[in-house]
Amino acid sequence: MKTLLGAFTALVAASLIAVSAHAENLVLYTSQPNEDAQATVDAFKAANPGVDVEWVRDGTTKIMAKLMAEIEAGNPVADVLLIADTVTLQRMKEAGQLLNYTSPEAANYDAALYDVDGAYYSTKMITTGIIYNTAASLKPAGWKDLTEPEAKGLVTMPSPLTSGAALIHAQTLTGIDGFGWDYYKALAENGATAAGGNGGVLKAVATGEKAYGMVVDFMAVREKAKGAPVEFVFPAEGVSAVTEPVAILKTARNVDTAKKFVDFLLSEPGQQVSVKLGYIPARNGAALPEGFPARDSIKVLPIDAAAAVKNSEGDLKTFSGIFGTN
Amino acid sequence: MPRRSANRSSQPSWLLPFVVITVCLLSGLPLARLLYAGLRFSLEGKATGLFSEPSAWFAIRNTLMTATGGMVISVVLGASFAFVVTLTDIRAKGFFSFAFVLPMMIPPQVTALAWVQMSGPASPLLKTLGIAPPLGSPQPLYSLGGIMLLLGVQHAPLVFLALKAGLAALPRDGVEAARLSGAAPMRVFRDIIFPLAVPGLIAGAAIAFVSCVGNFGIPAILGIPASIFVLPTLVYSRLSSFGAGTFAEMAQLSMVIAVIAALGLVIQQRALRGRDYRIIGLSGQSAAFALGPLRSIAEAGFSLVLFFVLAAPLAALVASSLVPAYGVPLNIQTMSLHAYSEILFRQSVTLTAFANSLFLAGTTACGLLLVTVLTAYLLARRPGKLADLMTGLIEIPYALPGIVLAVAFILMFAAPLPLVNVSIYGTIWIILIAYFSSFFAVSLKPVASAFLQLDPSLEEAARLSGAGFGRRMRDILVPLIAPAAGASVILVFLIACSELTVSALLWSAGTQTLGVAIFNLDDSGSSDLASALSVLVVIMVVILMLALEMLAKHLPRGVLPWRN
Repeated sequence: MKTLLGAFTALVAASLIAVSAHAENLVLYTSQPNEDAQATVDAFKAANPGVDVEWVRDGTTKIMAKLMAEIEAGNPVADVLLIADTVTLQRMKEAGQLLNYTSPEAANYDAALYDVDGAYYSTKMITTGIIYNTAASLKPAGWKDLTEPEAKGLVTMPSPLTSGAALIHAQTLTGIDGFGWDYYKALAENGATAAGGNGGVLKAVATGEKAYGMVVDFMAVREKAKGAPVEFVFPAEGVSAVTEPVAILKTARNVDTAKKFVDFLLSEPGQQVSVKLGYIPARNGAALPEGFPARDSIKVLPIDAAAAVKNSEGDLKTFSGIFGTN
Repeated sequence: MPRRSANRSSQPSWLLPFVVITVCLLSGLPLARLLYAGLRFSLEGKATGLFSEPSAWFAIRNTLMTATGGMVISVVLGASFAFVVTLTDIRAKGFFSFAFVLPMMIPPQVTALAWVQMSGPASPLLKTLGIAPPLGSPQPLYSLGGIMLLLGVQHAPLVFLALKAGLAALPRDGVEAARLSGAAPMRVFRDIIFPLAVPGLIAGAAIAFVSCVGNFGIPAILGIPASIFVLPTLVYSRLSSFGAGTFAEMAQLSMVIAVIAALGLVIQQRALRGRDYRIIGLSGQSAAFALGPLRSIAEAGFSLVLFFVLAAPLAALVASSLVPAYGVPLNIQTMSLHAYSEILFRQSVTLTAFANSLFLAGTTACGLLLVTVLTAYLLARRPGKLADLMTGLIEIPYALPGIVLAVAFILMFAAPLPLVNVSIYGTIWIILIAYFSSFFAVSLKPVASAFLQLDPSLEEAARLSGAGFGRRMRDILVPLIAPAAGASVILVFLIACSELTVSALLWSAGTQTLGVAIFNLDDSGSSDLASALSVLVVIMVVILMLALEMLAKHLPRGVLPWRN
């Protein structure tokens, strides 16, 4: 018994040390998939020896809810945010929650890709298009194909309640002429499901649980390269896009390290990490990863950012009203 | 330690206040806070919008449906195992009991993950065997029926255990008298055994119902992808997507869950009342019924059920932890340990989760033990109204669904603590306190039953020879209850290690638990990583259960759930 208790005490002590040792490090909140987040952090640590980064991954919406709760409780843990979309960060900037920082790397970026005051910087472009299983009967070419009878009960998509990219996607699509929320209602009537994040959609389609899905480009392209039976389509009407911006919180405890992190993501080597993971890089002149069509052949649909900020909550409720209760 | 004056009295003066204050802090206060918030918001008319939305009503309906369905399946499975194992001469009873109870100890989200990977077109196992359903076949488990089935499997051991305890105390002479007068086995069962088993059956069914209402892992993994929400998953997804603005709604939804759970508990209390009449006559160990040629059939049937509820899902879990990409069948060429090396050697998040869960489970198990030894001692030495009240208060947080408890703790600690102005929300300490509250009852039970079996005369003798409270504890009581204390520590450790519901709402940067890590990995599409981590957790659970099994002969009866 004594040895058992001794072992437990040792375990507890060891984990206490492990837990408290994290206190002084850079804390990153991100919506990247686990493996990508780890790869990004590893590359940053390799470039900045002696720095430790602790990161948390969850869907953008969930991680923001967590952060907002922490801010409300007076104890925000994160130093740096690397999440799906600028809309969320614009709102935080307006609320005075972000630190303005002028990165020397910004010169290599299109002015549309970062905030003029330096509150946030886009790091890559992630479009949402259509993924389908190669065994599927229909080869979808446009968004409307997903409401066809052949796709009945076979479509899935990420939920804006979880994913920032999915919220922007819904706000973009509903802005197209002849789409609106009616398009999503038609999808729901066609038996489409909406839940969880992009990862779940990829899994469902690649494994053949569903035949078609709306999903972010890099996941589909990357999984196809690994041998999964999927194809990715940039639909005729165009794709929605998010730019996965990075921002430093005003309450950051490690401002210097946070700035280094921003610089690294925007730097040439940092962008190469993204390319290697299969993302379209944001930096001028960086080449696209394998498996993508030429950059100018991808038609990105516009989004009214101001309206998106204003309507987000209402749009979430509308969406969950259509999909949340079936 | 006690002063000189306390040495002579049987209990030191600080003991009673200490226990009362601890119980109030861990149980009374958070529950009162939840009740206050729920009632205040209701009176202010806040969040009435929630109940005008259909989603809340759908969730209530789904909760009642899945819990009822799950309960029925639990009763059918659990009762048939219990009857056969206790009443017949079936072989390998110990093995069957152990294996049947194992699913209860496996985290529900792992169970759900394993089943998903066993069935449907996505199953690496079925793909490997070449019998996967065609493209686009719906995953049959992503449905109300699927949730019911898994809730049933997960909670069947509860019915089994509740019933088995009662059946073991059956008066053997009544059965024998009936047999001697020539009654057929079915007649004996119908007229003697079954009526006596009914209270245990109802109690087991009620516990299963309450556990189904509170289960989070199964409806989260099976329901959320299909937009089927039950109350706990609705609370979770609302809170995690809309944040603190929904506290009012969450408090009210939690109260709805609490009320449903409380109804089940009341039924259980009723059923257990008047159970004492059974202890007439001798309860022997010999089996009442010889199955004859049916024995092999029963054994084969049991093995088949265990194969489907245990072996096949776990095999599927292992299979999907070994495939390199989605949609690829598993064979010697494709098999890869990538997922294991990723979670063990690259993902800092899993190591953090392991460290956190071990820290939380270890601290909860050992810390609670200090409290429970004192509490159990007091309850054993000072029975009465106050002791009953304390016991009740300790049991409520365990019986309540985890999500309700988590909401109560969020409400209590969302704002910085008064006086010290430190916030523990978003730190590991809020999870630790919630665990203390949630597992108090688990920790207390083995220790309390050990104290009740202790002969007071030993301690009395020591007291008369002048030994103080600390001395008596150290030299007499603690050594005697040591096995029970060990069991208490391992049981709490086991349950806390794989906990999901409480930590799902309370985790933050760097405080992910194993349960949360598995859930999030699956949620982000890395189901290979989620499977690999699950496999490791299952291995850990089995090792801990075997450790308890080895302690078993030193333990009071009824301490280990799967033995009695």
